[in-house]
Amino acid sequence: MNDHIVTSFDNELKRLDGEIQRMGELAISQLDAAIDVLQRRDSAAAMRVVANDEAIDTLEHQVSHDVLRLLALRQPMARDLREVYASLRISSDIERIGDYAANVAKRSMVLNQTAPVSAARGIPALAKLANTLVHDALQAYHDRDADRALAVRGRDADVDAEYTGLFRELLTYMAEDPRQITACTHLLFIAKNIERIGDHATNIAENTWFLVHGEQPEGEREKRDTTAQ
Amino acid sequence: MATVAERLFLRRRIVNGLSLVLSGLAALFGLFWLVWILWTTFTKGVDAMSLSLFTEMTPPPGQDTGGLLNAMAGSLMISGLAVLMGAPIGIAAGTYLAEYVNHRKLGEVIRFVNDILLSAPSIVLGLFVYTVVVRTTGGFSGYAGSIALAFIVLPVVVRTTDEMLRLVPIQMREAALSLGVPQWKVTVQILYRAAAPGIITGVLLALARISGETAPLLFTAFNNQYWSTDMTGAVANLPVTIFQFALSPFAYWNKLAWAGAFIITVFVLLVSVTARYILLRKKMSHD
Amino acid sequence: MTNASIAFTTAVPTATELEPRAAKLSARNLAFHYGDFCALKDINLEVPEKRVTSLIGPSGCGKSTLLRVFNRIYSIYPGQRASGEVILEGENILDPKYPLNKLRSKIGMVFQKPVPFPMSIHDNIAYGISHYERLSKADMAVRVEGALRQSALWDEVKDKLKQNALGLSGGQQQRLCIARAVALKPDVILFDEPTSALDPIATGKIEQLIAELKQHFTILIVTHNMQQAARCSDYTAFMYLGELVEHGVTSTIFTKPTKQQTEDYITGRFG
Repeated sequence: MNDHIVTSFDNELKRLDGEIQRMGELAISQLDAAIDVLQRRDSAAAMRVVANDEAIDTLEHQVSHDVLRLLALRQPMARDLREVYASLRISSDIERIGDYAANVAKRSMVLNQTAPVSAARGIPALAKLANTLVHDALQAYHDRDADRALAVRGRDADVDAEYTGLFRELLTYMAEDPRQITACTHLLFIAKNIERIGDHATNIAENTWFLVHGEQPEGEREKRDTTAQ
Repeated sequence: MATVAERLFLRRRIVNGLSLVLSGLAALFGLFWLVWILWTTFTKGVDAMSLSLFTEMTPPPGQDTGGLLNAMAGSLMISGLAVLMGAPIGIAAGTYLAEYVNHRKLGEVIRFVNDILLSAPSIVLGLFVYTVVVRTTGGFSGYAGSIALAFIVLPVVVRTTDEMLRLVPIQMREAALSLGVPQWKVTVQILYRAAAPGIITGVLLALARISGETAPLLFTAFNNQYWSTDMTGAVANLPVTIFQFALSPFAYWNKLAWAGAFIITVFVLLVSVTARYILLRKKMSHD
Repeated sequence: MTNASIAFTTAVPTATELEPRAAKLSARNLAFHYGDFCALKDINLEVPEKRVTSLIGPSGCGKSTLLRVFNRIYSIYPGQRASGEVILEGENILDPKYPLNKLRSKIGMVFQKPVPFPMSIHDNIAYGISHYERLSKADMAVRVEGALRQSALWDEVKDKLKQNALGLSGGQQQRLCIARAVALKPDVILFDEPTSALDPIATGKIEQLIAELKQHFTILIVTHNMQQAARCSDYTAFMYLGELVEHGVTSTIFTKPTKQQTEDYITGRFG
C-alpha cells in the first residue's frame, strides 16, 4: 500500500498502532505476572501487578484521545477508517484484559492468607490457554492477518471447555470438603476472570477480521461454556 | 397510435432538420461569393499574372507589358507607415482604457467615441485629411495617405487591445502586484505578454482592413505612374491603380487591374488567416 | 520474576503538542470597507510564527477580505479602505508610509486560480527576484532551483525550465506559483483557497507541501473547505459576517469549540 501523500497522517496512524502494541505487551506481561504470583503465593509481587495496571489505563485514555483527534482532523476513509475504529475497540478489550489480570493478582493475595488448595492446580493450565489466545490475537492484529485471527476465534471454545471442566472440579471439591469453600470460591472467580480474558482476546480477533475485510466474520462464535445449563 | 409526446418529438425533428438544411444552404451561399470572386479575379487577371507583375512598373496606356511593382511597393510603404503611426497610439489608448479607466464613466465615453470613429465612412476620413493636410501642404503625398489610413487603424487597434487586455484574468495582475512589482511594469512586462497574441491579431486585422481602402487614398496619396519612394509626393498604390486601370479602355490595363484585385484579395486572406492562427495557437497552449 | 518495570519492544513516537510561538503578524482593531459596506469589524488576530493558521467561515464572512488586507492588494481598487493596524516586526504595514514593495517582499500571496506568467518556467520565478536583486545568471539559476525544490516541483520540471509555464498541469502550475512566492524569501505566505481549483491528488500534494513549508515560513490560509483546515493547520480562526468569532488550536476547535456558532458551522447546522 502506498503512503499517504501527507506524511503526517501516516505518522499519526503509526503512533496509534504503536500505542496499541504497547498496551498489548503490557497486558501480556501482566497476565504472565498474575499467574506467576498466584503459583508462587507472592503477595508483595501481586501488589506490584495491581499497581502496574494504571499504565494500561493511561494508555487507553491516550488511545481514545488520539482516535477522536484522528477522526475529527483527518476524516479517514475505507481501510483507514476501519483501522481507527478497530484501534478504539481493541484498546478497550486490552484494557479489560489488563483489569482481569490485576483482579487475578488481587485475589491471589486473599488466597495466600489461607492454606494452599490442591484444586488450584487446574488454574495454570487454563491460564496458559488464555495467554496463548491473547498472544496470538495480538500477533494477528499486529500482522493484520485475518486468517490467523479467525483461527483464534475458533480456539476460544477450548478455553470455555477447560473452564467448564475446572468449574465442575471446584464444585466437587467444595462438596467434598466444606472447609475449602472460601478458597474454592476465590478460585472460581479467578477462573471466570481468565475465561473472560479468552473472550476479550476473541473480540480482538473479530475486530482484526473486520479491519481487514470490512465485515463481521460469518457464523456464531462457538461457545462451550456449559456451566450455565 | 402516436402519443402527444411522440408527435411533438417528430415535429421537433422536422423543424431541426429543416433549420439544418437552411442554415447549411446559407453558409454555402456566403462561401459561394467568396469563391466566385477569387475565381473571377484569378481567371480574368491570369493573363497578366507572371513574375513581371512583381518586377516591372505600371505601364503607360497601350503598352502590353508591365507590372504593378511601384503600386505594390507604394501600398506597402503607405500601409506600413499607417500601422506604425496608428498601432502604438492605439495600443497605448487601449491600455489606458483597460487598465486605468476600465469601470469608470470616462472609460465608457472613450469607448463610445472610439466606436464612432470605427464606423466612420472612410471617404469622410479621406476628405478630412485632404482638407487638413493636402490643402495646407499644397499637394498629394504619401504621408497624407498614411495619416488617413492611420485614422482607420487607430480605432480597430484601440478596440482589440482594450478587449484583449480585459480578457487577461484579474488574478494575473494581482499575482504580479503581490510580488511587489510596480503597476506600469506589470502592464508592460506581464499583461502585454499575456495579451500579445490578441493585440498582434488586432494590428494584423487593421492592416488587412486598410489594404483595400481606396477612398481615402484618392484624396491624399493619389497615384503615381513611376517608381517613387518620396512620401512627400504622390505615391503609387494598388487600390487607386486598380481604380484607374479598371475604368480605362486599355485591355492590358484592365487585365492588370484584375491581377491587382486578386493580389489584394489573397493578401487580405493571408493576413486574416495568420491572425486567426496566432490566436488559435495561444488558445491551444492554455489547457 | 515479576517485572515491575516492563521493557517495551515497540517504540512509540511522542505526540508533538504545539509549543506556543510568538506572533509574527498581528491585526489590531482592523476594520475594512467596500465603499459604505463594512466587511470587517474590529478584528484582533495574532498569527503565530512558523505555524499554519487557517481562516474558515461561510461565504461572505470576510475571510478573503481579511487575507487581502495583509499584503494590501486591495489598494489598487478605488473605494476599498482599511482602518486599524496590522503589525509586522514592530511596524504598522497599513501605514501609507510603509512601502508597498517592501511589504510584498515580506508577505507573499498564492491565489485560488493558478496564474503562471506567460513566460518560461525559469523566467516566472526569476521575474520577481529580479525586481529586488541584481543576480548573475548562475546565481539566479541557483535561486530558481532552490525555490523549485522547496515547492516540490524541481524533479518534475528540471529538464524543461525553458518551456512555457502554461504547459504544466493545474497542480504543477499552482506549485509554480508557490515557488514564485517562496523565491522572494518572504516571512509570511498567504494562501487564498489554494486548492479549490485542483483535484484531490494535487490537493494532497499541496497540503504536504504546506506542512513542509511551515518550517521556514509563517502561513495563513483561507479555505472554504473546513476539512482542509482540520488537516493542514495548527491554529484555526472562525469568522462570521465580518467578525472573528473564535480562534484557537485546531484540534480543540474541531473537537470542543467554545462558541455555539462555531459548533453549528463545523457540524453543518448553519442556516
